[in-house]
Amino acid sequence: MKFDYLKEEVGSRIADRVYDIARKFSLALDVGCGRGYIAQHLNKETVGKFFQVDIAENALKNTLEMEIPTVSVLADEEFLPFRENTFDLVVSSLSLHWVNDLPRALEQIHYVLKPDGVFIGAMFGGDTLYELRCSLQLAETEREGGFSPHVSPFTAVNDLGHLLGRAGFNTLTVDTDEIQVNYPGMFELMEDLQGMGESNCAWNRKALLHRDTMLAAAAVYREMYGNEDGSVPATYQIYYMIGWKYHDSQAQPAERGSATVSFGELGKINNLMSQEKKSQ
Amino acid sequence: MSGNGAVWGRVRGRLRAFPERLAACRAEAAAYGRCVQASTAPGGRLTKDLCVQEFEALRSCFAAAAKTTPRGGL
Repeated sequence: MKFDYLKEEVGSRIADRVYDIARKFSLALDVGCGRGYIAQHLNKETVGKFFQVDIAENALKNTLEMEIPTVSVLADEEFLPFRENTFDLVVSSLSLHWVNDLPRALEQIHYVLKPDGVFIGAMFGGDTLYELRCSLQLAETEREGGFSPHVSPFTAVNDLGHLLGRAGFNTLTVDTDEIQVNYPGMFELMEDLQGMGESNCAWNRKALLHRDTMLAAAAVYREMYGNEDGSVPATYQIYYMIGWKYHDSQAQPAERGSATVSFGELGKINNLMSQEKKSQ
Repeated sequence: MSGNGAVWGRVRGRLRAFPERLAACRAEAAAYGRCVQASTAPGGRLTKDLCVQEFEALRSCFAAAAKTTPRGGL
């Protein structure tokens, strides 16, 4: 399966973030797991049992090899068939951009998490494939007088924070990464996107992309974005988000006015800390 | 896709040959690209057929390349 490279890479980066949390998760869930790109990088010490959920039966039938015991479940992200407070960990890598009702899917994830459980997700960001989007837009305008969407709108980073907050998550962190892949040309890029299963699927898409427009777009792409060696870059912007389900044990913001030192004394922090040690 | 897929196969074959034929027309493609890019500068406006001359040059080069290069397989 030579088109999996992007999902493999992001899957391993999510696994890194799971390792960063110094905990063992006995029960984990992967929403939109595909062939199991995250689970294959994790070990039995970190995750006890992994539930793999995807809406595509073929993906579940072609699962990659992994050492953690797994259960595959065919389900829709918006209707997770699990009870409240089930999982210690929920992960999701590059599949949420296909969900119709994203707020609901995030609420579902929050629901099935145990208190003090954590959700680690990766989603495509707004800059993803901007070169392709712009080239098609410009070419279609010049050739046909107008344009229709050919690249899905991706979530903006502010919206991500709001969505997670609305779903009930606490202590959010969102960080972003850019993976740039070079292709011989626009057609090769589109072929790979098709191979990855990422062809445009919007309801309002135009069913036909004129050959002339494709030719024009390929020319614009190379001229505006091309590299020195003739190849063209495609940007995949990835947002990694981490959200926690509330639990009493989690650190709370301190009360206003309860500070015992001021920021102005930051330069003397070594003295202050050794003083505290002496007094203990 | 119904039947034996002959039509779809031909379309696919034409599409697969695109990169090779486009490579034969680097100069024309670059000229068209520059024309479109110029319209994105501040004060420029991209309208239909703004770069029609450059595109026609590209299209004829492309058609000529299609005659000389073999079509990609089904």
